[in-house]
Amino acid sequence: MTKSEFDPQVKQLLDGELTLADLPAELRQEGEEALRLLAAVDREPLSLPAVTWRVMATLERRRQRRLTWLLAPALAAAAALVLWFGRPANPPAAASSAMVTVRFVLVAPGAHQVSVAGTFNRWDPSATPLVRSGSADVWVATLSLPPGQHQYAFVVDGVRWVPDPTAPAIDDGFGRRNSVLTL
Amino acid sequence: MSVLTLFTGGKRLHAETGDPRRGAPSDGEVVRAVLAGDRERYAVLVERYRDRYARYAARMLGSSDAAEDAVQDAFVRAYDQLAQCQDPNKFVGWFFLILRNRCFAEQRKSRSHVSLEAASSVPTGDRSDAGTETAERRRALQEALMGLTAEQREVFVLKHVEGLSYIQIAERLNTSVPSLKMRMHRAYDKLREQLRDHA
Repeated sequence: MTKSEFDPQVKQLLDGELTLADLPAELRQEGEEALRLLAAVDREPLSLPAVTWRVMATLERRRQRRLTWLLAPALAAAAALVLWFGRPANPPAAASSAMVTVRFVLVAPGAHQVSVAGTFNRWDPSATPLVRSGSADVWVATLSLPPGQHQYAFVVDGVRWVPDPTAPAIDDGFGRRNSVLTL
Repeated sequence: MSVLTLFTGGKRLHAETGDPRRGAPSDGEVVRAVLAGDRERYAVLVERYRDRYARYAARMLGSSDAAEDAVQDAFVRAYDQLAQCQDPNKFVGWFFLILRNRCFAEQRKSRSHVSLEAASSVPTGDRSDAGTETAERRRALQEALMGLTAEQREVFVLKHVEGLSYIQIAERLNTSVPSLKMRMHRAYDKLREQLRDHA
């Protein structure tokens, strides 16, 4: 046994199977050294609050990429048809074809009420409530918005304005951050 | 009409979620809902468990930043393989094994330059002047931990950081208590040697 190895009884001390008092006198000093080692163990908890939205944003980005790949051939075919037949006889209403469906999702444990307010609803916190998805703490609202840039924030329990951490944000000039959605 | 889904992680507004005793859905219910197409519900599992093994990952990898990447990656992998989670009610144990594999893979990748300096980026709780000595001892131990093999470090972290018994660790890693003890006892000797060098 080299000098750097702990005595087997000291290892039992480290394992919690013996106490310092159980060790023979000649091993007490080594036992104290071993306990000093354990006393330096850092058991502080670590919190990673950004992981939730990072994970969900990653999953969503991948889904969007897959959707783009799936839609690309269909869009190419549609464009070819338009070129071949010229202007459609009954073009769809420009307004509805230009609208983009956007789903807003907020994880808000413990919240009683969540809404989204923005340039698209005159910043009215009561205009667009999110609904709870099942019994979970996930709140959802689906809106049809015109292309362009929209600013928004979530409003939790009618008082707490929460910007979207996954979206770019700009200063609103009053010390708050507005999230920006470009469609 | 094109469809764009915007996910928002939001903020942690209140204390721990998902306690079945308070009416929150069980892991099994959430997993089944996600598999049935309610993808947003996966955020519930992430929110519920992202911190539980954050400390394990940080001690295994020697850095909080690396831990954050590993935990995120493990959740994405778990989502991809969710259909293979044989018992949805044991999602967290299954997730731990995915995170563990991710930590070991990271260790193999960076074995040639195991970062002792990275150990100093693991946050130590006490930063006061009075705690300087404690912080220094913690840092020295974390550096010494990074000098162990990943297997040795893992047993030490699970027992002495996470507070699990040998029996609990053996169940979680599907191994035997004597084999764990052998690993741990080698770890003790190696730590002693390295901390003496450090001193």
